[in-house]
Amino acid sequence: MRPILAIASTTVGEAIRRRVLLVILLIGVLFIVVAPGLGILSARSETTVLRGFMLGVIQGVSCIIAVILTVYMIPNEIERRTIYTILSKPVQRWQFLVGKYLGAVLSLLLMMAMMSAVMAFVFFLQQQSKNVGEVADLMKGPMMYFVQMCLLAAVGIFFSTFLAPLVNFFLTVGVFLMGTFFNPLFQTLQENQNTVPFVKYFAQGVNTFLPNFANYNVQNPIINPTSVIQNEGRYYLGITVYGLVYICILLIIGILIFDRKEV
Amino acid sequence: MAAAIETKQLTKSYKARQAGTINVVDHLDLHVEEGEIFGFLGPNGAGKTTTIKMLLGIIYPTSGEGFVLGKEIGDMDVHRLISYLPERPYYYEHMTGLELLKFYGSLFGLTDKDKFIKLLEKVNLHRDMTKTISQYSKGMQQRVGLAQSLLNDPKLLFLDEPTGGLDPIAHREIRDLILSFRDEGRTVFISSHELSEVELICDRVAIINKGVIAAQGKLTELLKGGRIEITAEGVAESLLADMKITDANVRTLPVGFMLDMPEENDPNSVIDAIRSQKGRVISVVPRRKRLEDLFVETVSSSGVNS
Repeated sequence: MRPILAIASTTVGEAIRRRVLLVILLIGVLFIVVAPGLGILSARSETTVLRGFMLGVIQGVSCIIAVILTVYMIPNEIERRTIYTILSKPVQRWQFLVGKYLGAVLSLLLMMAMMSAVMAFVFFLQQQSKNVGEVADLMKGPMMYFVQMCLLAAVGIFFSTFLAPLVNFFLTVGVFLMGTFFNPLFQTLQENQNTVPFVKYFAQGVNTFLPNFANYNVQNPIINPTSVIQNEGRYYLGITVYGLVYICILLIIGILIFDRKEV
Repeated sequence: MAAAIETKQLTKSYKARQAGTINVVDHLDLHVEEGEIFGFLGPNGAGKTTTIKMLLGIIYPTSGEGFVLGKEIGDMDVHRLISYLPERPYYYEHMTGLELLKFYGSLFGLTDKDKFIKLLEKVNLHRDMTKTISQYSKGMQQRVGLAQSLLNDPKLLFLDEPTGGLDPIAHREIRDLILSFRDEGRTVFISSHELSEVELICDRVAIINKGVIAAQGKLTELLKGGRIEITAEGVAESLLADMKITDANVRTLPVGFMLDMPEENDPNSVIDAIRSQKGRVISVVPRRKRLEDLFVETVSSSGVNS
């Protein structure tokens, strides 16, 4: 366990010093801070716009950070030869990969926690009623986005075991977009009785293999109180377990590939 | 003496689209004894780094076998007893020298700060241990690399171009450190282009070209075949002909002559013969065969320099 933690903490140390990530994070924080001013631009309720915008910023910025953080992770270690000094020590390849992944997740946690804290503070100040319960309700969004980003990071790390960073970047972003926008579509196709069998099977196949990122887009019930999730706790637990299982599968396949990789 | 490294027909092949299968390392038989400094030489692309990576278990051999400290390559127990300093290494630049040792130490489960400081003292970096790696010069980075390679008190060190790109002072410091490793009973496996350096510190060498071992053995044996030049005057050249020295060349000089003969011959008998004829010996110059000569000779005879 010690090598995994050492590699994870080094990864965090590197991530929080990467200027490109810090600039993206800063832009995200800046957008959240100026968000209250955007309410006047919309005809909808100011609070609704504020919530939607801030959650959107956190999700978008976290997504960019997760992709940039993970697609270069393994190729950079090989290119800079740091991997050689590490793997020549009593460190197994799976420990290295899991350590890098944990480091990415911890970095995401730090950065998302920072944005979420700023969001909570801005929202609290903006509220007339100063209701802490509403702030806590708002935080459910970033929590689910965090699981979503952990899943996205696992996709990025998985591809980085055998793909070049540029190809990995487009593929990881592609998987995220497909898993976010196409999964509900394929779900509908799969369940619709009028769908032709071929399309149905195709939809079923895509739904099985493609991670369902749309599950974690829980902003609607948070933004709009009339939209509710039945048995909220069970739903959140369910999609968290789904995410964890998917992450484990991706990491195991990634380890099997990385174990045979000539570095 | 026990073998620190032993390979038997170790081969690494890659498939190339046009050239078919290429053997980067071709049926390599290597023998490195414990406690010696072994030089692994070869031109660029000869297969040196590939061999080291195979011995470290970073890449996998296509065929053949290899043993490090008596265990099959890739054995994790061996990784506790060996260390590696790659060519032009990169370390996490945000770390200080001390943090770097803490990080690598933690991979062995080591947490003793005093040990890290002592190692930094050994490589003369203790005054700079709070500076970040990005503030270190090339020589300092190489020295911190050597310090990290000593963390586990290794029995066997793999050093890939340890003095590459360093200034003469840093060269000397690294050379002295490597010599101290041998004094401590460690085995050192050096891959290098710095032939003069290797000649100074290595006990045995192997020259690899195009993945094949072209020469291997003790430096003293491989460098046999030097010559001795004796310049003398006041004596007839026919005296030398009478001595029947094999493979000797005699050149007449404006004053006297110069005898060029293999170093196996005893120069004292020639000097004595010249003196006995009332001749005068002007100079005796041993022309020792250098590693560079051996290297060029071996690489040229084993194929075109790749």
